[in-house]
Amino acid sequence: MINRFDRRGAALLWTADSGAAILMAAALAAGVAAAARHDHGALRLAVGAMVAAAALRAALQIGATDAGEIAAADAKTSWRKRVYPRVLVAPPGDRRMLGEAVADAVDRIEDLGGFHARFLPLRRAAILSPLVIAIAAVFASWIAAAIMLATLVPFGLGMALAGTAAARAAARQLDALSRLSGLFVDRVRALPVIVGFGAQERIGRHLADATREVAARTIDVLKVAFVSSAVIEFFAALSVAMVALYCGFNLLGILPFPAPERLTLGEALFVLILAPEFYLPMRRLAAAYHDKQVGEAAVERLEGIAPPAPAPSDRAIEAPPALRFDAVVVDYGETAIGPFTLDVASGSIFALRGPTGIGKSSLLHALLGLAPIGGGRILVDGRDAGDVALAGHVGWAGQSVAFIPGTLADNIRLARPEADDAAVEAAARDAGLGPMIEARGEGMALRLDHRGSGLSGGERRRVGIARVLLKDAPLWLLDEPTADLDARSAADIAAILASAASGRTVLMATHSAELAAIATSEMVLA
Amino acid sequence: MDRLLADAIGPERRAFHIAGALAVAATIAGILLLGLSGWFITGAALAGLGGVLAVQGFNYLVPSAMIRLLAIVRTTARYGERLTGHRAALMALATVRARVFDRILSVRDVRAVSAGDAVTRLVQDIGALEDRLVRKPALPAALAGAAIGLVLLWLASPWASLALLALIAGLVLWGHLATPRLLASAATDIAAALARLKAGMIDYAWASPEILAYDLAPAIGRSLAAEAAELDRARRRFARGEAIIDAGLTLGGGVAMAAVLAISGAALPMTVLAMLAAAGAIEALSGYMRGVSRGALVTAALARLEDVAGRDEALMRAERASGPVGRTIALDRNGAHVRLAAGERLGIAGRSGSGKTSLLETLAGIRAADRDCGIVLDDRPLAMLPPAAVRAVFALSPQDALFLSGTIRDNLRVARAGLDDERLWAALDVACLAADVRAMPHGLDQWIGDGGARLSGGQRKRLSIARALLAGKPWLLLDEPSEGLDMATEARLAHRLDIWLRDTGAGLVVASHRPALLALAGEGAGAILKIDGPGRPSS
Repeated sequence: MINRFDRRGAALLWTADSGAAILMAAALAAGVAAAARHDHGALRLAVGAMVAAAALRAALQIGATDAGEIAAADAKTSWRKRVYPRVLVAPPGDRRMLGEAVADAVDRIEDLGGFHARFLPLRRAAILSPLVIAIAAVFASWIAAAIMLATLVPFGLGMALAGTAAARAAARQLDALSRLSGLFVDRVRALPVIVGFGAQERIGRHLADATREVAARTIDVLKVAFVSSAVIEFFAALSVAMVALYCGFNLLGILPFPAPERLTLGEALFVLILAPEFYLPMRRLAAAYHDKQVGEAAVERLEGIAPPAPAPSDRAIEAPPALRFDAVVVDYGETAIGPFTLDVASGSIFALRGPTGIGKSSLLHALLGLAPIGGGRILVDGRDAGDVALAGHVGWAGQSVAFIPGTLADNIRLARPEADDAAVEAAARDAGLGPMIEARGEGMALRLDHRGSGLSGGERRRVGIARVLLKDAPLWLLDEPTADLDARSAADIAAILASAASGRTVLMATHSAELAAIATSEMVLA
Repeated sequence: MDRLLADAIGPERRAFHIAGALAVAATIAGILLLGLSGWFITGAALAGLGGVLAVQGFNYLVPSAMIRLLAIVRTTARYGERLTGHRAALMALATVRARVFDRILSVRDVRAVSAGDAVTRLVQDIGALEDRLVRKPALPAALAGAAIGLVLLWLASPWASLALLALIAGLVLWGHLATPRLLASAATDIAAALARLKAGMIDYAWASPEILAYDLAPAIGRSLAAEAAELDRARRRFARGEAIIDAGLTLGGGVAMAAVLAISGAALPMTVLAMLAAAGAIEALSGYMRGVSRGALVTAALARLEDVAGRDEALMRAERASGPVGRTIALDRNGAHVRLAAGERLGIAGRSGSGKTSLLETLAGIRAADRDCGIVLDDRPLAMLPPAAVRAVFALSPQDALFLSGTIRDNLRVARAGLDDERLWAALDVACLAADVRAMPHGLDQWIGDGGARLSGGQRKRLSIARALLAGKPWLLLDEPSEGLDMATEARLAHRLDIWLRDTGAGLVVASHRPALLALAGEGAGAILKIDGPGRPSS
């Protein structure tokens, strides 16, 4: 509600600015007329009114800008609520690069700012303001008002033509720009590889080509976009010229047709000053036209990222579930894995084994909905996995452990935000992080960055294990939880997992014989 | 940075001059159009009052033709200026973007670069520079507007002309004084909040399986929303500040017209012309004033880009002092002493967390070497050598290999320039990945997903090994090369690596828990280095 009021508020303030322009024109016309009459008192009054009208316009413009900005912040906030959660759980196998997704989420929402702060209020004002100006002009010269309104027809046609072409080109350009951002993020992320192999020059050349291509595309867009502003410029200039010529010939009394009205100097100057004001709202709108193109293209992309969400299932799993994979095929488009059929009994520890690359991890991802299922069904307690709220109710330890900037405790607590410090520390020690915590001397407050720098491969794995232990969920999904660990550590972890796993269903993918030994059943994928 | 920008603008100089000239033409045409119209109407009104004779004496043909001409000149000149100016700016900035990326590529500690931050520099910050370049023609336009305004006012009344001069000077001063106060901190806050938000998003998006499994999206969304609200507040402050500065021009235009009307003693048509010209001269300042206020954003962006540029020069100096290295490696860590000559092999064993990975990363020149890291290359301490020289000697297959989002071929060809398919297949064969790749529908052109996400852990490992083999460096560094591989593949890999090392004469340092891989280093007494913790080796 506040949102709508504010948006209208900005439009009304911009329209009020046109009202102040009328005051300005009237004061100026009255002043010149007074000067012609040598009426010094009236002249001084008019001069004062001009300054006052200018001050009023200045204040209204500040207010309109601010009101637009408030409306924009509201609009952006509601988009963020919708889009951010989707980007955070993008399937890792998705073809789009991560950077592209983040650029979409952050930049595209920022792109909406100008659209809501400037374009929308100015569009409302662009309908109201010229009418206000034309009505004011009628009082001085109805023909001048008619001239202004008549130029609107060819103007509208020109804008419609230029506008559609520009919108198409802008959408294409936004695509290219977004890909470029994604390329930058990806290459910067792979910097250790690029630098390690001395490939800077090759990668740099490739990116230079990509940036030049985007620049060339942008210029194509601008060629069209500037046509629409040229159309406005032209009609704004034309309406000034036509009003000036009509008024001049009317005052001279040499119009080539019988004059329907007789103008005074004051009236003529009044409509002349109003003529550029008639097109000013459109020129302002044209200056914000880029905001519109960017904003609309952004909305389209955002709709793509975050389609209206289906109602999430609230049927959470409570008891250890039974899982059934029924001829499941994971289909990545270019490659497909499966079909696999397997049954995991409730409360059992099930090990998926098999040669590298056969699709053990993909099956785990598919259960979470992170891998596209091309055929078959996954059932959780007899219900389709999509209908069961697994997200938030499982323990997960993956092949790579993700870190957020923060302390070690923050990182482990991700699994169960309400866990107290003692529980978090207990989980860390159970996962075998004890010696590391002692050695660093910072305890659970050890600072980690988003790459978990400073932790060894094995320590990262143990952070993942600590999360699983803390989560205390009825279903655990473990993806090679002991890879990167030496035999002794792997055996430790296997023992910890074995003792903590009772009363849960555990599905794990592993090569490790120690870990497979704790399983109650196993299957070799082939 | 200034030089970098100047270099990029150089080839576009002519285009910027043309854009400036067109801007001048458009401004003058615009001012004359309105001024002449006012003069024409007022003159016509006075002539109309003077009776038929005065009307016949009034030359209306020339002014009315001029008015039509000026309307057309203003439109076309404005279009031409925009297109030329934007083309020149965009082309110059494409060059700047590529150069800045080159500089990001040449940083000393590659692990410290955050992707979100770098992209902010490349996209946002350079985008802010675009604003500055696009506004280059605004200065000649403002000068031309001021000049024509002052001349026309001088014809009406020298005093009015002086008043306009004072007003213009006052407004320019207002812009320069108000910008730092009203906009500078808001601009820095916007850029910082945006960079934080993006870096946060990228960091979090890496955690997507965990976010899903533990349902973290709402909590993370809330913490991101707090950052976003800060961004919105800064944007509002900036917009309000900019509107206040612009409002100075609106007020100034009104004051200018009022002043001319009050001061001018010239004939009425000339006074009206002068009034409208004064308003036009003030309006012509708007592009320049907007440039001044946007300068706050540009300055913040330039400062961050400067940071990147400065780093580059420091690095270049270090590079020149280097020579070829890599004939011998000596490791000297608290008692344990190993010396390797070209082509020799070393295995490193030890518990997880004992520092195997950091030792390999230091050797590879990816982790900055400490003064007392105990590594000596060709009798020179590693810490004294420029990273690029160290990197030229070692090819690392790291524990968590990174990949470009691209095809198998893209990722392998990162290793070295001029690699043909035959060599790629040979390396894949040694790494035991050739059969997998042949089975993929697109073979070498198979898209491997975001950062290699479509590959299994074992496939990523082997692709990374193949890449290291292709680099053709004198030393191969392998960190847990067989993690995620089944026993049969592991044995095959060890066997093929052994043959490859013998054929090429390359040296090897391998860190692993697995006996099959450590065996690559040989059975001799000095072949295996056991380390138990950072700086606490034993053998």
